Amino acid sequence: MLNNSDKVISLQIEVFSIIIITSVLLLFLFLIGRAIKKSDPLAKPKGLVLIGMIYYQMMSGLTKDNMGAKAAVKFAPYIATLALYMAVSNLLGLLGFNQPTGNYSVTLALALITFVLIQYTKIKVNGFGGYAKGFFEPFPPFVIMNVFGTLAPLISMSLRLFGNITSGGTIMMLVYIFTEWLSGFIPLIGGFNFIGIVVAPALHAYFDVFSGLIQTYIFIMLTTIFIGNELPQE
Amino acid sequence: MGDIGRGLVAIGAGLAVLTGMMTGLGQGYVAGKAVEAVGRNPEAENKIRSMLILGAAIAETCAIYGMLIAFLLIFVFN
Repeated sequence: MLNNSDKVISLQIEVFSIIIITSVLLLFLFLIGRAIKKSDPLAKPKGLVLIGMIYYQMMSGLTKDNMGAKAAVKFAPYIATLALYMAVSNLLGLLGFNQPTGNYSVTLALALITFVLIQYTKIKVNGFGGYAKGFFEPFPPFVIMNVFGTLAPLISMSLRLFGNITSGGTIMMLVYIFTEWLSGFIPLIGGFNFIGIVVAPALHAYFDVFSGLIQTYIFIMLTTIFIGNELPQE
Repeated sequence: MGDIGRGLVAIGAGLAVLTGMMTGLGQGYVAGKAVEAVGRNPEAENKIRSMLILGAAIAETCAIYGMLIAFLLIFVFN
């Protein structure tokens, strides 16, 4: 059982990973911004400017596909920031850090932003009266189902990301413990985890790189689709 | 927690992972439909592939929930 008797205010270990990610991303984005300011708009883009342009085009294209050109201008920066932060934090497991997305507080916060944006768009499109009336559609007893339907994206999006990252991390931990125990039987090298080095890279490629990037893609796709559903059709 | 309690926790964790069964069926269905779609419309292969991965990963969520519950059972009630 969890021991609740000695409650102390302590920093969770993910806080340090978050600080590292934010500072590295800030530095990187600052460098890109400085390079763009310096660059000649008529010349062929190269280096950091090119990376920034490719990323911007990718994200605005993805947003445009799901939301329409008008809303994409407003939402593309948020989507691009979310994707960058989530992709980097999911890939951080490769360097041996604790992934911030393996902490439920972080994923809940990310999903909460999306949830608030969905409700905000709904209210903005329908007006507050229409928004409140939407809960009693098609007839009043449906209010229970509508409330749960409204809250469902918040829970499913946060738990999906958290579950994927946590299960990947836990499986990797179990693999390392198991291979360490197994390589204890090999003579000569003794405590050196030899089998882990052979087995782990493929699993890291799946759980950290593939799974992490796919979950990032799914999160931003679902965000754009959910918000795009609430927008009026063009 | 006694021996019986730990055994019950292990059984509960095993039952929670059974969610993977239906997820397997769902992912297989998604893949089969994708193959059908490519057969009918080979030019759209790239779009179908990205939608296949998206659909399969969303279907996987259910199995992930079961796995999460199993992990919680094992590591919290130990």
